[in-house]
Amino acid sequence: MLRNYIKTAWRNLWKGRVFNTMNVIGLSVAIACCIMLFLTVYFQFTFDRFHVNINKIHQLSFSSSRAEGTEISTAMCAPLAQALKDDYQDIRYITRMANGGATVKYGGKELEKNIHFVDTDFFKMFTFPVVNGNKNNPLADLNDLVLTEYAAKAIFGKENPIGKTIELKYADTPHNFVVSAVVKDFPENSSITFDMLLRFEVTPDYQEHMKHWDWHDHSTFIQLHDNVKPEVFGKQLQTFVNKNFKEVIDGMKKDGAKADANGNVYSLNLLPFANNHFATEINGLEGGQVSKTYVFSLMAIGIFILVIACINFVNLSVARAFTRAREVGVRKTLGAGKWQLLVQFWVETFMVCLFAMVAGIILANFIMPGFNATFRSNMEISMLFKVSHILVMIGVLLLITMIAGLYPALLMMRFKTVSVLKGSVGNAKPGKTRNVLLVTQFTLSTLLIVCTLISWQQISYLKSRPLGYNKDEVISIPIGNSLKGDQALELFRNKMNGQPGITAITGAYDNMGSGKDGSMRTSRIGFDYKGHTVRTTIQGVSYDFLKALDIKLVDGREFSRAMAGDSNAIVINEKMAAQLGKNIRVGDLVPLDENSPSRIIGIVKDYNYRSLRSEIEPLTLVMQGYEINYVFVRVKADNLIRAFNQVKDKWHETFPNVEFTGSWINENTERQYVAEQRLSTIFISGAIIAIIISCIGLLAMSFMIMVQRTKEIGIRKVLGANVGVLVMLLSRDFLKLVLLAAVIAFPLAWWLMSKWLESFVYRTPIYWWIFALAGFIALAIAFLTVSFQSVRAALANPVKSLRSE
Amino acid sequence: MPKSFNNNMLSLQHISKYYQNGPNKAYVINDLSLDIEEGEFVSIMGPSGSGKSTLLNIIGMLDAPTDGYHYFIDQPVHQLKEKQRSALYKQYIGFVFQAYHLIDELTVYENIETPLIYQDIKGSERKALVADMLDRFGIVGKKDLFPSQLSGGQQQLVGVARALISKPKLLLADEPTGNLNSKQGEEIMELFRKLNKEDGVTIVQVTHSEKNAQYGSRIINLLDGRIESSITL
Repeated sequence: MLRNYIKTAWRNLWKGRVFNTMNVIGLSVAIACCIMLFLTVYFQFTFDRFHVNINKIHQLSFSSSRAEGTEISTAMCAPLAQALKDDYQDIRYITRMANGGATVKYGGKELEKNIHFVDTDFFKMFTFPVVNGNKNNPLADLNDLVLTEYAAKAIFGKENPIGKTIELKYADTPHNFVVSAVVKDFPENSSITFDMLLRFEVTPDYQEHMKHWDWHDHSTFIQLHDNVKPEVFGKQLQTFVNKNFKEVIDGMKKDGAKADANGNVYSLNLLPFANNHFATEINGLEGGQVSKTYVFSLMAIGIFILVIACINFVNLSVARAFTRAREVGVRKTLGAGKWQLLVQFWVETFMVCLFAMVAGIILANFIMPGFNATFRSNMEISMLFKVSHILVMIGVLLLITMIAGLYPALLMMRFKTVSVLKGSVGNAKPGKTRNVLLVTQFTLSTLLIVCTLISWQQISYLKSRPLGYNKDEVISIPIGNSLKGDQALELFRNKMNGQPGITAITGAYDNMGSGKDGSMRTSRIGFDYKGHTVRTTIQGVSYDFLKALDIKLVDGREFSRAMAGDSNAIVINEKMAAQLGKNIRVGDLVPLDENSPSRIIGIVKDYNYRSLRSEIEPLTLVMQGYEINYVFVRVKADNLIRAFNQVKDKWHETFPNVEFTGSWINENTERQYVAEQRLSTIFISGAIIAIIISCIGLLAMSFMIMVQRTKEIGIRKVLGANVGVLVMLLSRDFLKLVLLAAVIAFPLAWWLMSKWLESFVYRTPIYWWIFALAGFIALAIAFLTVSFQSVRAALANPVKSLRSE
Repeated sequence: MPKSFNNNMLSLQHISKYYQNGPNKAYVINDLSLDIEEGEFVSIMGPSGSGKSTLLNIIGMLDAPTDGYHYFIDQPVHQLKEKQRSALYKQYIGFVFQAYHLIDELTVYENIETPLIYQDIKGSERKALVADMLDRFGIVGKKDLFPSQLSGGQQQLVGVARALISKPKLLLADEPTGNLNSKQGEEIMELFRKLNKEDGVTIVQVTHSEKNAQYGSRIINLLDGRIESSITL
């Protein structure tokens, strides 16, 4: 019986191959997209899940309720961890964690590697299994070093690294370490990433740090005993805070801090590590955070596309059902039962779906590399072949075939055998269901079009908004770990001296935008000024900073080599000036450092030194105390490529062993919005695919309708209707549906996108014409699709169509 | 009229079929009673719209009457459930159509085989039955062709073979020669006569042709949904 079903199914599918091909293409493209999107979603949601204790690990954070708002900081001070563990029996494990980089020297090789400085509890909390070496206590000694398999291979090749001594150069001094263990490479979706692990005690100036409770510069993770509730434990921490941070609390209260719900102005809290990957609202966490909105958008788009493709499937099957009504009738007269017919049609649907799914998987395999490159994912098709995933796929397959196959089959069952055999079903009125489905499809498509347009607009707004400095024609070069910043800058300055086409050279502590090194530094300090606390971001700079970046002075002047006292002078922005008070003038002294107050020599116009996601905050430019990490070179505008190569060559001449990772600052600022750009790319790909699949459906549908209306068209033509009128007549019904869909999509899109835009401090307004444009695009595409068929129908010779009746 | 249970194949008593058309009823069949005995060959004639096809469809259980009693081999069809009706139909009735109504996607062989599939007959048995039938109708050489590759007469031959494959007691034919030329038509009618005489299959056919009607044992003339005359030949 089944063989018979499959045989008839195959012949039927072959007979309707034009439609079925469309069906299969639409569905397999949709499936390929869904595979990509859902795998990405899965990848994101399983971030860090490989840690066995993930639900028991928490990161410590301070929350300070200041007058201007609550601030959360994950930065901890060195003495805190041990003190906390001594005070609280509930803590099972605690580890500090600081990040750094070092130049590794071994056997003539020199490599830049990433280091995590941790305490010994680290291995008991996080799941980084040792594959080679000391399994019990890998960091027992202060000069022990743990490598990942990847780093071990990079440094030692095939040699066994255990017990070997290597030299690491960080903070300008070489240190020797002995490799004690190699840990298994962690999965791609790990927030904590490192090449090497060292004891926290070997961080630079560790002894000095241990004396200070106000130097906050690393993270701390704790794991409680299994029977301790984190919420309860969190409340107990206040005693500890009150005891150890009395000065901070007093200072905050003096400045009018508002107590939080628990009556505290300064408190220590637990952040669940399980939520680490999605905690975008908190700065200073391990790994790159991803917004849940982003992941949900991916999921929503995947579901949209799948729904649209399924709707196509249903619509096309229903449409084809009408052409097969006679067969159903005949089969009934031959004694076919309801179930036998249902199963027959289900088998056909199942075959199409199965085929589409296989095609979709193959397609996904081909587009995976491109997808990974565009969306910075690390997926492999093999991720798909997990038992759980296969079960889900089979489930989805069955579900789709149930809905898409049984509905049309049931519809056919309802045909009256006698009338079917007379051939009178073909003229059935277009169903309400079909219209609802078409409207749903185009609502989703239009929604995606609007989202695309608005996200485009926002990105171009971000890119084009003036930042308060001139980001064009400036090259930013990260200096790297192996050089001393100020010396490197001076050396390079001398080398570039007198070079044509170079306007200014300067250096800075923090980069502008996001450079190729991917690093970001923020340094903020607070001090007392005339009885209140002033907080400011600090940017360490060198001479010619304002000149190189073309930052406008409101008052005063820039740092000058000619003025002896400038090394301790500061330049502030307008926000900082406002914070210091109305009467602040150039020449006033500001006690950045209590012992030697700095003189204000200039006030600059506010400029966006951070991405446009955040507002401009008080900023102080200083000349000393902050290492120079970047060299900025402003060049003349005439030949940028030549200028860039010139700078690159000179850099190599000056530092033959240091890589050149320079980039234009306008590239750097654009790089800050890659997340938005990715989202927008996803929107546009989603929109295009949704539209194409919808149009495939529309095309097939219109073809069916034209066949049904051949006679009507013939009569109208005989009565004198011209082609234009006929095309309009035939397209009108579809266009009404598309228009309705657009009207439904608009408020939805407006709401969604205004939510998204809220995450930007600087944002484009949502213009009405975006909606008009989206509606127009949807209508135009639908009209083109439909008229493809309607023009043909309208041009057909009426004599033929009428005779065939 | 008393119910008769002797060797009646089927019995229709006071059958009506009408459509409510506002306050009026449009009758297609109007209080019609008819008995057909086993072994009869009945031809139903009448002008267009006299209810011939509707009557045939009611007999074949493809259509249900609005009123009246319908007995088939002593079973009260008007009281049966869909499933029982379908079982009865599957076992005893074969249908031949004017437009042949072969399934285009199936070969000659498969078309003939289909009713057996729906009766859950095993593959080997099906093979034997279909082979017999192909042999009997002399279409063995055409078994792998599709309906579109056959002439009208050949298609109808397949249609008849398909109707007979499940060994029905009653063969219903709705203008079986309507789409055929006269020579092809004669062949089909000869076949019907042979089936009726030699195999004892009861046949009811609807026809426009006086000549074809002569092949049967009784001619019933319909007019406006009633029996105008019934002539036994």
